[in-house]
Amino acid sequence: MDALELARLQFAMTGNLHFLFVVLTLGLAPLVAIMHTRWALAGKPLHERLTRFWGQVYVINYALGIVTGLVMEFQFGLSWSGLTHYAGDVFGAPLAMETLVAFFLESTFLGLWIFGWGRLPRWAHLACIWLVTLTAYGSAFFIMAANSFLQNPAGAVVRGDRMELVDIGALFTNKALIFSFPHVIGAGLFTGAMVLVGASAYQLRRRTSEVEFFTKSLRTGVTTAAIGIFLTVGFGYAQFAGIQEGKFEGDTGAVPLGIMIEIGQLLALVVLFAMLPLIRVLPRWRWTHPLLMLMTPLPFVLAIMGWLAREVGRQPWMIWQKLTVADAMTPGLTPPMITGSLIAFVGVLVLLAIVDYVLIARVVRRGPRELDLGAVREPALTY
Amino acid sequence: MELIWFACFTLLLAGYFALEGFDLGVGLLLPILGKSGDSRDRMVAAMAPFVLANEVWLVAVAGTLFGVYPALEGEVLFGLYPVVVAMLLSWILRDAGLWFRRRIGGAAWRGFWDLMIALGSLGLSFGWGVALYAAATGFTSSLLNPVGLMLGVVVTLLLAFHGWTFLAWRSPGLAGVTRSGRALALSGVVAAVPAVGVLLGSMPYLLDHTAPAETLNVLSVMTLPFAPIVLIAQGWVWRTFRPGKDAVRIPSFF
Repeated sequence: MDALELARLQFAMTGNLHFLFVVLTLGLAPLVAIMHTRWALAGKPLHERLTRFWGQVYVINYALGIVTGLVMEFQFGLSWSGLTHYAGDVFGAPLAMETLVAFFLESTFLGLWIFGWGRLPRWAHLACIWLVTLTAYGSAFFIMAANSFLQNPAGAVVRGDRMELVDIGALFTNKALIFSFPHVIGAGLFTGAMVLVGASAYQLRRRTSEVEFFTKSLRTGVTTAAIGIFLTVGFGYAQFAGIQEGKFEGDTGAVPLGIMIEIGQLLALVVLFAMLPLIRVLPRWRWTHPLLMLMTPLPFVLAIMGWLAREVGRQPWMIWQKLTVADAMTPGLTPPMITGSLIAFVGVLVLLAIVDYVLIARVVRRGPRELDLGAVREPALTY
Repeated sequence: MELIWFACFTLLLAGYFALEGFDLGVGLLLPILGKSGDSRDRMVAAMAPFVLANEVWLVAVAGTLFGVYPALEGEVLFGLYPVVVAMLLSWILRDAGLWFRRRIGGAAWRGFWDLMIALGSLGLSFGWGVALYAAATGFTSSLLNPVGLMLGVVVTLLLAFHGWTFLAWRSPGLAGVTRSGRALALSGVVAAVPAVGVLLGSMPYLLDHTAPAETLNVLSVMTLPFAPIVLIAQGWVWRTFRPGKDAVRIPSFF
């Protein structure tokens, strides 16, 4: 493979890894915030345990979101400096917003939420998780705005040999953005919800002693999954109105697009017309639980298919009909350089991703006891 | 406007060294001061509430590089290719070490991730010295230049000292001495000196390669109004986790 293909492979692999964790973060953040709100309002131990248990899943997942995100941010300079040279004046604006405001606040408030347990006043602590959710959505918005500019370079003109920003409003009302952003948010909610459903089904199937805990989690999951898939499918189809002409014609992008649409529709039918009407009895019908567990990975697969369709469908353009991927590659990037960093990044991140999923699975298997998150007392010493 | 953004960029990079600098310093000291698992737990717990609020300063530095100095972003990162890759891997392993070390019981598991924290902190600290020297010479020098390597050692020592001062401020028992908040601020300033020096030295070059006025205006309108909120949030972290009775809480999430 030449340097270009290797650089594309590196971006695709790290990008997909990043989104696997981000999509769950986007879904779990509001769910944990709602659980925390109910705890703060009613003060019931059940709500505190729900917050800590799903919060622990959320923060373990978050770790990989951070480290894969770091590689994404720096890869623009390492592999794709042609993009910054040509359109950095435009593309850099949403990216700077994301890093200087949205993620800066998200990271700060997440630290306060995790370590502020038992230290911050009740309402201040609650405010932290809502601010984390708000800024996470803000981050997603700015990243989608930057990506949408690549799909449809609105708000900028070519002046000389580079693009300049002329209309910031057009950048943030891009037709490639307005429906894709809620589509991604819906997909996040659906993913987070299906993790609640799958994990609860696993515990209920095993005849857990925590029946009330996981019955409640399962029902929250089903309700949220219905909302999430409804938004995802609705805003998914709405996107076709603003798609570039000929994007999916005879292109490899059409394959993941087809898979996503077919499975997505099937899942929507199952969630809206089977799981939602059966929400009262689902926790008791143990024969359904293996099926619910099998459905858990599907939202992740669909999310990856969606990104493949969006990104592969854009080829050979980095910026649609303005800059090719080949021209965007850093001049002087050699196959040995990119091979070395590809193996290092992907090797380390895949290993860490596996460890992370094993750790999440352990939390789910163990259930809501001996949680690290929000543990404020020294455990009893045993000699 | 160019000057305002140069000041922002300098502030962000200086903030990274003054703040994340002590996290890296504590990581460096982990194998030295933390002979037992219990003392390492307490060292990590001392810095844990600050890490997320501190490391994000470098994310913001990179974002500013992208937005304000788009013409230089590729030059800087590509000019340092192997160093940037090694530093990113170090950062990843350090973070993974923090997030994973307490997720499974057992001394071997925790010891392994503590080692990753120490090695990651070392890679980042040393890498910064090499990167700063290369930047100061306009990326013309070899990355293995002895002066650059020496600067790597100097930065590592500076950050280790800063980490030690932080421990002495927040949890005096761990460092064996007590240091005031003023001493911590001073060691933070010292930790930022090499980076700020290089930036000031390349100021004319940076000003020459700033994004056009329209872009800067957009960036200013969109980000500067949030600056007070960001600073208040950062201040809230320091207020919440200031030293005192029960400052270092065990078990800590990290």
